[in-house]
Amino acid sequence: MLQPVYVLGGGQTKFGELWDFSLADLIRSAVDGAIAATKILPTDIDAVVIGNMLGGETAEQAHLGTFCSSLLPHHPPALRVEAACASGGIAIHTACALLESNRAETVLVIGAEKLTDVAGELVTSALMHAADAEKDGPSGLTFPGIFALTATAYMHKYNLSRDDLSLVSALSHKAAVKNPYAQFRKEIPAASISRSPLVADPLRLLDCSPITDGAAALILSTKHESGVRLAASQIGTEALSLTDRASITSFTSTKTAFANALSEAGWKRNDIDAIELHDCFSIASLIHLEDMGFAPEGEAIQLYKQGDTDIDGACPINTSGGLKACGHPIGATGVKQVLDCFKQLTKQAPNQVQNAKRVLAHNLGGVGATCTIHLLESI
Amino acid sequence: MDRIPSLHRRTQALSKTPLLRGTILSFTTIHNPPKGFGSDAYTVALIEKEDGTKVMAQMTPESAPPAIGAIVAPRMRKIRTMENGLFINDLKYEVVVPVATPLFTVRTYVLALTGPSGVGKTTISKALLSMFSSVVEQVPMVTTRKLKSAHTEPHIVVSETKFQAMIESGEIVAHSTLTDSGQYSAGYRRKDIDLIWQKKKLPVVTTDIHLLEGLAKSLGRRTILSCGLLPPGTSHRRMLSALLHRLRSREDSELQIAEQIKNAKSHLEALDSHAHLFDHMLVNESVDHCVETIRGIIE
Repeated sequence: MLQPVYVLGGGQTKFGELWDFSLADLIRSAVDGAIAATKILPTDIDAVVIGNMLGGETAEQAHLGTFCSSLLPHHPPALRVEAACASGGIAIHTACALLESNRAETVLVIGAEKLTDVAGELVTSALMHAADAEKDGPSGLTFPGIFALTATAYMHKYNLSRDDLSLVSALSHKAAVKNPYAQFRKEIPAASISRSPLVADPLRLLDCSPITDGAAALILSTKHESGVRLAASQIGTEALSLTDRASITSFTSTKTAFANALSEAGWKRNDIDAIELHDCFSIASLIHLEDMGFAPEGEAIQLYKQGDTDIDGACPINTSGGLKACGHPIGATGVKQVLDCFKQLTKQAPNQVQNAKRVLAHNLGGVGATCTIHLLESI
Repeated sequence: MDRIPSLHRRTQALSKTPLLRGTILSFTTIHNPPKGFGSDAYTVALIEKEDGTKVMAQMTPESAPPAIGAIVAPRMRKIRTMENGLFINDLKYEVVVPVATPLFTVRTYVLALTGPSGVGKTTISKALLSMFSSVVEQVPMVTTRKLKSAHTEPHIVVSETKFQAMIESGEIVAHSTLTDSGQYSAGYRRKDIDLIWQKKKLPVVTTDIHLLEGLAKSLGRRTILSCGLLPPGTSHRRMLSALLHRLRSREDSELQIAEQIKNAKSHLEALDSHAHLFDHMLVNESVDHCVETIRGIIE
């Protein structure tokens, strides 16, 4: 980072099917929460960035930057950014750019999504906008279908079994029991996951993160200090369509962003005490852990089997419950992950990792076409 | 919402697309179709076409089941219905060459070929490997010296101290001192065998009697499909003479040959005294015949 960027704190709505709340209600509630938690004055905020993917398609609301700015008494400059499921991560990255370049000293970052106002098949179509509209969409492929293609190839290549794959979702569901903001607060054994209905073979319902409404907000500042700062903020990208990739069982975007983030922070991989991982689909978690070098190719499942991913393991993953159990309101996820990292470092986490000093938030857009990595440390 | 200009552009592009066959790289069955694609499940595959480009496409409903590696050919079919009731056509694919099913299926065995040097272990294992490369794989040997046949036999060279350490750590499951060209240690690692099993293939090892004993002890005797190889001949003397004949044609030095014949003698005796370690005894009169017999045994 060009200059220290502090995380002052944040707030979020409960994640879930929130029929009583509009997109505007969700944003308002998260912003109120963030301002209350950080005890700064609303007028201290001198820029607003919101990450959102489908405001127009599912909530009939575009122009979200100005919408958010209107919630504040002094109407600061505001913008909306979008990178599919990585919209939240990219919003934080944009805020960092404003802060590091001295365009702003205190930035309100919001992630929000409202999906349940429209029918399921419309959401399914809209989520496909994250893929290549000319190369992937016309075949009738769905977003779970895209990850199912990576799963078929991965399971074929590395001989991963169905029952082993279920361990990934089981871990997230176990963690979410203690998280009051999570959509599903119920432990689900791996055996039930293996028996859930097929969505896109081989992925089953409980391999997939759900359709969720929710919002999260964070306040970042170079002027006001706190006990937590961002050590790195990086983006990686690669070909949008799977048809243009050399490999579909690994994402270059994660590799690039993670390597650049480690070098920006001056950390080693072993320094990381906990990870908020983009487990949009069970198979994705395994691929991410391999791409970041926590396991050799094809062997990430061993981390789950050996308990390394547990709260007291070598590399605790998704102590919040991840996307799988917390829910995945597309644009909100990346912001909520960093908020969970902040809670982990300030001992407010629902599942506290002992002595967590350095944590990682990994946010993905599309089938790995965009990846943002944020590293946070307590000081 | 149906976007007519975009559909028009796609139709135009399709009319210029050469109709090429391709290979399935991955596939999935969509159980929750998006709007316009009906409510029945269908399969979408990622296909690498003959010209190296890749395409995402539906499989025809009547196609044989897809599999990674199957060859597919394009067909123009109805893919969805617009809101106004008009049909949209697009390229779908169907399997024209399914993935070759293996010649035979293999249980978790290790195929061990045991016999004196010169009897033809390497020749037979090579013939097996070339004929059934999709189902059998040679286990690399860990040795303390570079093998003469390094280019054909997979092996890993380590120092004598490392080798001893690997024995102590249990990494090496069977070892022996070989003398076919000076003394050296050789063994097999559990990890290499596991790796081949994971690929659902049959690991093949060539062993002497000590290696075979070691394997039987560490992996379990019943895990080993053990074939003893004998040179042709009705008596030990005639067998040794047949071996001598073969060793001479290998251009080994006389000293080495004498040493190997000495070993072969004790080896032939061991084949008798360790009969419990063998499932089958094969006389290597012709390689083809031997390979055919082993194939029969594996099946």
